[in-house]
Amino acid sequence: MKQLKWLLIIVSCAILTSCYSVRLRNVNGTPQPDPFSNRKDYYRGMAVVELDTIISIKITSKDFTYLIKEKEACESGKLNIIEYRNTFGGVLLSAITFGKKRKVTIKYVCEKPSN
Amino acid sequence: MDRYNDVATEIQRLIKETLDAGQGFRAYGSAWSLNNIASHKDRMHYNGFMNISMPIHDVDCHLNSNYDPTNLFLFECGNTIKEISETLAENGKSLKTSGASNGQTIAGCISTGVHGSALDVGSVQDYVVGLNLIIGPNKEDIVYIEPHSKPALSDEFATKLNARVIRDDNMFYAALVGLGGFGFLHGIVIEAEPMFLLKRYVKKMDKNIAFELASTMDFKNAVFTIPEETDSDGKGKRPYHFKIFINQYSDDPNCVVELMYKKAYQKHYPDPFPIIKESLYKDLIYLFVKLAENLPKSIPFLVKQLRNTILPTVNEETTGMLKEIFWDAPYQGPAFACSFGIDHKDSPKAMELFGKLTRDEGPIPGIFAMRFVKQTKATLGFTQFPITCMLEIDGVLWSESEKIMSLEHFSIRMIEVLQQNNIPFTLHWGKNNGWAFSGLLNHMYAENAVKWIDERKKLLSTDMYDLFSNGFLQTVGLA
Repeated sequence: MKQLKWLLIIVSCAILTSCYSVRLRNVNGTPQPDPFSNRKDYYRGMAVVELDTIISIKITSKDFTYLIKEKEACESGKLNIIEYRNTFGGVLLSAITFGKKRKVTIKYVCEKPSN
Repeated sequence: MDRYNDVATEIQRLIKETLDAGQGFRAYGSAWSLNNIASHKDRMHYNGFMNISMPIHDVDCHLNSNYDPTNLFLFECGNTIKEISETLAENGKSLKTSGASNGQTIAGCISTGVHGSALDVGSVQDYVVGLNLIIGPNKEDIVYIEPHSKPALSDEFATKLNARVIRDDNMFYAALVGLGGFGFLHGIVIEAEPMFLLKRYVKKMDKNIAFELASTMDFKNAVFTIPEETDSDGKGKRPYHFKIFINQYSDDPNCVVELMYKKAYQKHYPDPFPIIKESLYKDLIYLFVKLAENLPKSIPFLVKQLRNTILPTVNEETTGMLKEIFWDAPYQGPAFACSFGIDHKDSPKAMELFGKLTRDEGPIPGIFAMRFVKQTKATLGFTQFPITCMLEIDGVLWSESEKIMSLEHFSIRMIEVLQQNNIPFTLHWGKNNGWAFSGLLNHMYAENAVKWIDERKKLLSTDMYDLFSNGFLQTVGLA
């Protein structure tokens, strides 16, 4: 019983500590604004694109590149800020599928378009 | 130029539509103002994507212009300070000063009088040389205004903007800090200067010495000197920027000060950016606010605990361009700021009074700072003293409870305290304050307020006068 308790504590700690975000931001450039955004976090007033999906890649593929394309929330098609989230579940999924299924949880903000 | 003029046509269409609907219209940019100056109950136009910029060439200048044309640029209203700084840097130029931040749009900055702490430079509006305003739906309602005494652009250039030229000092300086009331501010011609570096120092200073400097601005004969910033006689040089931070709850005889000295630009200097920028855990801010609302007596303790986050690091030295020193604002959560313009000679007394008020009738979850700005020529510029001390309290926004007074009440008490002690003052147009305080406008600006209203009436038709008025202007008595 005591060993089970310790195991649970270790697993809980592993889950908690393996869930974190890393944010990268350009020193130059301006994030694309979103005047209708109600966000009150780091991304206040910005046009944020959020992606939470699982990418499946072929058995012959080593890795993949997710393409940032021009769209309403990314008029310039250029990145200004990107934040990716690493989760214990994501690591576990990649491990048990030998890297063929990868959980992608990212937020990004593109450069404000210039006229 | 064609795209710029297409925008003007579209704005005129929107103005016509608003007029036909019998409604009001107001433009807004980054929404950084902490009051309702940039809002309207009827129609609002977001300017953030209007970021055309163009350099002014020699041939575009007026024959009597004394400006170096390489320093002149036309920016569309929605350009942020950061965008402008980057455009200028590509041309080897820099803004003369900013609002110690970079997210505001240029139109928002000048319309509300945004300032830094450049004591011999002034505020953002003080390097504006001309304004392109849209004052109605008709052909003749696109105007370019510049001072008669200091012309910059030729009539031919204004014609390219489809603009009617108005060269009039009174009109220009009234429209300069126009509070959004002089029409749709489409373009702004500014004077930049060659790129320069700022060397920034953060020091601890005896409060008495800091207040002595605040009231005299005599850095040459001050007891305090920075060895690297002295002249050949060992006397202190005059800084470009001087800011004093005051924690009114601390009995520490010292305070933190920030000084910046202007240097010639050179290519190689230490990287002013850290590798990483940390943000405060957001829930910690909410916890702070909740504690402040329910246990106000804990505020001095909490401020002390957060001093390393609130205040800059002592003995820090940084070198960088203006755009690097005043980079992106880190905190994006709910905040308040009340800012008073006071003659720098009165600033130690005013600080003492505000400190006492905050301790006796508070505490309030914020701390004070003093910044110093050269006098503006703008009719309603709040930096109206020869050197204005902008005495400000910034902090986290709280809700009124039985134990802590409201921000509105606190603002009113600050106004009352200054009036009771006969200290003349103005208020920052873009910040929180007791705007509905009786007789405030006349107390602050007296005849200048009348001049501003007269110039506005002269420029706008009756319909447009109403269309470009809003609740804020009505509250303060300017519309």
